[in-house]
Formats: sequence, C-alpha cells, structure tokens
Amino acid sequence: MKDFLAELIEIPGGSGYEEQAAELIAKEFSRLCDQVHTDSFYNVYGIKRGSVSLESGERPKVMLAAHMDEIALMVKDIDEKGFLRFTSIGGVDQRILLAQEVTVHGREKLYGIVSTVPPHLQDAGEAQKVIKMKDMCIDVGLPPDRVKKLVRVGDLITFRSPLATMQGSMVNGKSIDDRASVVMLAEVMRELDRLQYAAEVYCVATVQEEVGTRGAVISTYKVQPDIGIAIDVTHGETPDAPKEDTYAMDKGIAICKGPNMHPGLTEKLIETAREYGIEYQISVAPGPTGTDARSMQISRSGVPTILLELPLRYMHTTVETLNLDHIKSGARLLALFIASLKEGWQEWLKY
Amino acid sequence: MKELLVRLTGIYGPSGREEAVRQAIRQEIEGFVDEITEDVMGNLIAVKKSSNPDAKKVMLAAHMDQIGLIVTNIDENGFLRFSNVGGVSPFNVLHRRVVFQNGVTGAVSYETELDDMKKLKLDKMYIDIGARSREEAGKHVQIGDAAVYHAPMAQSGDRYFGCAMDDRAGCAVLVETIRSVKESPNELIFVFTVQEEVGLRGAKTSAYTINPDIGISVDVTLTGDTPKSRPMAVNLGDGPAVKVKDASVICHPKVKDLMIQRAEEAGIPYQLEVLEYGGTDSGAIHLSREGVPSGVISIPCRYVHSAHEMVDRNDLENAVKLLTCILEKEIV
Repeated sequence: MKDFLAELIEIPGGSGYEEQAAELIAKEFSRLCDQVHTDSFYNVYGIKRGSVSLESGERPKVMLAAHMDEIALMVKDIDEKGFLRFTSIGGVDQRILLAQEVTVHGREKLYGIVSTVPPHLQDAGEAQKVIKMKDMCIDVGLPPDRVKKLVRVGDLITFRSPLATMQGSMVNGKSIDDRASVVMLAEVMRELDRLQYAAEVYCVATVQEEVGTRGAVISTYKVQPDIGIAIDVTHGETPDAPKEDTYAMDKGIAICKGPNMHPGLTEKLIETAREYGIEYQISVAPGPTGTDARSMQISRSGVPTILLELPLRYMHTTVETLNLDHIKSGARLLALFIASLKEGWQEWLKY
Repeated sequence: MKELLVRLTGIYGPSGREEAVRQAIRQEIEGFVDEITEDVMGNLIAVKKSSNPDAKKVMLAAHMDQIGLIVTNIDENGFLRFSNVGGVSPFNVLHRRVVFQNGVTGAVSYETELDDMKKLKLDKMYIDIGARSREEAGKHVQIGDAAVYHAPMAQSGDRYFGCAMDDRAGCAVLVETIRSVKESPNELIFVFTVQEEVGLRGAKTSAYTINPDIGISVDVTLTGDTPKSRPMAVNLGDGPAVKVKDASVICHPKVKDLMIQRAEEAGIPYQLEVLEYGGTDSGAIHLSREGVPSGVISIPCRYVHSAHEMVDRNDLENAVKLLTCILEKEIV
C-alpha cells in the first residue's frame, strides 16, 4: 500500500494532464477487479461485481470516487533572460512557493526552482511582505535560447517532493490530496475480496477535481450509480489552525455530515463503523463540499451520496501529512458498508 | 470579412435576445450548409454532412449574445436604473451611448455626489433617454428591456474596433469557415450559441442535444500588449490563439496538440493562450454527458467588454484558415 502511494505521488498529474497517473492506476486496478476502463478524459473505472445474488435481482450500483489530479503550475510567459512566469492550476498557496523544487514538462523534463531574493539583498521590511505569484519566476538553469527551444507557454509544471516516512505511521509528500484516497480505492477492492457482497462496485479515480470536480461530473453521468461515495481529504489538526475545522490525526477517518450528503446512508455508514468497532470522526460541511461529492449528488436525476475524509495536515503544500492507518481502517469500513447492502437496500435511499 | 463584421457587430443582441443576430447569420450561411435548425433556447444549428460513414461529430460554437444593461426601475423623472446582463464594469459603461431593441438611445451617467470614483457601482448609475417623466420614459422603454452599446465599427489599418466583437468576431470567423470548408471527413455542426455571457447556457443545452465527439469553440481572448497591462503572452495581430486553459476549461491535450500541428503544417501563425480569468462555451461543452474532448481557437482582442473591443484582421483571417485546415482533415 505504501509502495503504491509512493509510486503514485511521484507521477506528474496536474488537472487536465492525468494520462500518466491514469496508466499506473489502471495497471494497479486491473490486478484487483473484474474490469478496468479509462475514458477520453483519463478517468479510470475499476469494476467489481459481487457474487451474492439478490432475490429482487436488482443489485445496487455503487460508485466510489477519489481524484487523481494534483494542484500544479503552468508556464504563462518566458522572459528575455529565460525565466518562466507562471500561473496556478487549482488552489496553490503562493506563500509556499519560494525556493520550491519543480519539474517543468517542456519538450524535455526540466528541473527548476522558484527563484527568490536572498535575505541580504532584501530591503528593510521586505521579509514581512507576501510575494505574489505573478511576481515570481522559475529558473531552469539554462540560457534563454535553450529555454525558448524547450519550453512553451502552457507547459505544465509540477512539484517535486517524494514520499517521506515520518514517525509512526505518518508520511508526507506532494499530492497525497487525493492520491491517498486513490490508494484507498485499491484497498477497498482488496477488502471486498474477503467479503460476500451483492453490489456492483465502480471504483473511479477521477480527473480535474482541483479545478471544479469536472471528472466527477462526466464519470458520474456515465456510471449512473444508485449510491455515490466520495473519498477526499480534510484538514488535520495543528496548533495554529482553527479547532472547529480540523480533525485528529489518530482518531479514524471522518464521515461528513451536511446537505451534500444523504442522511440515511450516512447513518448506515456510522452504524457499520460502530458495529465493527472502527474508529471514526464526524466532520461537518454546511453547503456543497469542495469534493467530488458536490457533483455526484446532482448528476442526472440525483444520486444519494456520502463522503469520507482522510485528515491531512498542510493541505496544498509539498509536505501534505497523513496517517497511513486511516487508509486501512477507512477501506475496511467502506468494504463492510458495501457488503451490508442486501435485500431491501432501496429502503436505505429514502429520506 | 470587414463587411460581415460591420453587419454583425451592428446588430442588437444581449443575452436572451439574440433573434436579430440569429436572423442575420442564417442569411449569411444559407446555401453553404445541408441543414439549419433553431432550438428552443434560440441556438442556431447548421450542419455540414459528410460522406464518410465513420465521420466524427465535431461541434463548433461561437456565441451570438453580447453583454448589456437591463432596466430594473424607472424613476419619477424618467431616469432608468439598470442591472448588468453578463460582465459589465461601471467604468466601461460610464458616459457611453446605449441603444434599446426599438432604437431608443440613451446616455449612461452616475450620481455625481459620489466622492470617490473607486466606489462607482452600477447601482449609482442610470440611463438617461432624455425623458422628462416616468410616463414619458414608459412610452419608449419598459422595465426588463435591455440596452447594448451603441458603437458602430471603426477601422484603423488592419485593426477593427467596436462593440460586440465578443463574440460576433467569432461568429464571423465561423461564417467564413462554413463558406471555406470544402470536403470534410467529419460531420460539422456549427452552433451559434445564446447566453454565453450569463454562464455558457446555450452551449450547455446544444452540446447535450448534439452529443458530439469533439468540441471547438471560437471566442475572443485578452491580450498583454497594451501599456502596463496585466501580463499575458498574447499579442494583437500575432495570430489566432490556441487555448491551453482558462477558468472554465483545461483544453484536452490531444485537441490542443492537433490544433498546433495543423497550424505548423500549414504555416499559419498562432499563439498559445493561458487565460487566468474568464471562460467560454467549451467550458460547458466538455462537461456535457460523458465528456467531450474540447479545444478553443481564440481571437486576440483588446478592451474586451468595452464599447471599443479591438481585433486584428489578420488574426481573423488566420483563424478561418486554421479552422479550415483542422476540419478538412481527420480529427484525433
């Protein structure tokens, strides 16, 4: 599991450019499920069909979604000295950019860094100011004529930050939002193999979540599920972050409540967790969430949707920190929940 | 091209009231396509069929609507208060002449006791049609009527400027492309869309109906070549722009690369566009149903959403050439 996460987060996959990530995910999924399909936008669908047959003959079609895209940068202009101006894809915090190591995906892959003015050369008080992304540039260490041959406006730039193991079961790196959840999809498949279940399960690794849950819009339309389950990350607690918006790093996955989520199914999920003694927390979203659940719920005629969230520290940085145990326990919970969809499952969808 | 542009930019057509534009475009393309229909939203849909049994369905879109001012209240002295239809900046409309569908014109002004021009908002502004009373104004304009800029197109060398280049310039490019494309291995569905300025609404419904394999829209984009403008690597006159991304769409890499390839094969000048704000019809098309790989050909345009949107003739002509090259060959 950790190896798959380590391999996956190193693959560049800024929103809209997920082809390579999709390839690796499809390869991993194909070992674990009955059928794998990749669509023209590189959403990857891993399909598993349970062996239990229901008397009514109507299997629940369950779609799980976790997004594979990551926040990234994009070349906006190249100046006369060969420095690259850039914009962001998804919500990049400009405060973390200075001196960051990046890969520029030009005609060749180029190592680059976000340039910064040394403290010695700063004016008094400059260190107190936030430097804006529009004033930053990237240095790839090449003369301007070479840069102009290798790099074009619109080239993708991704961060470099491989998986690092911390103490206990904590790891950090880039794009753990939301590739940890993609890894969890694979774990759900493994858990399902140990269980008897009736559902037809579509594990979908989605694209373009960071720019507006776009992959979820088209993939949910395609799958047309009876039940939607989104897996994403939420904020892990740190001393400086507001308590009411953060969750413990060692108390289990968070089950989200709010209008975006189906109350009956959410309750069933909580019951499942209690029944099997799986630790969980409750998170709250007062409106449409910033996750794939947002679009899944309102696809076609509407899809009863639930949301699970992995607590993650330092979201949208290159040191996103996660407790690996949460992937395991979350996957077990989801598989048990899916297996609990039996005769009369339609009753669960009623309000 | 010039005559077409003069004609199309001179027509009244704020979002939701595109009928005159639709009528004019229909006349321009009749005889050049196999089929013309209009849908319930008012989209104009023109089809060029293909003899190829494996033809891909390519949807091309340019929007007919323009931004406008919609009357919300008429005061006792006959001044019209208004709201925006689409992205209207108070500074762009201040002291502009505007015209209603029935030809009534007015001037846009503001409450001059305002102490700080930075605080200028549309609710401090009004349209003066010269009426002396509510009754007199009511004879000419009703609440709910919309006005657009009154700014006939002008020319300076290769540069054309006037209102509604966004996106009548795109409509003109599509009209000329319809006339220019000879034989295509693809089924070409040209859609002149409605209500782009209020949220890509015509493109959303027409893409659902058509269910295309590929989507291409033609719209204007911003430039970074005016004094102290927001930096952007697009210049007026340097060629049509192949969009990489904007706020509504990340163009499908295969569609984007195909556009680049066709431009390079044919030696057509082009630019690459990364637009940080704003969107266009492909934003709706690419998320239709199970997803439609989409791209955009953009026409560089200065002063977008002002009364004097400026485009370059060469960019328009090269956009037609590029589109023709793309459409006359196999697509992706």
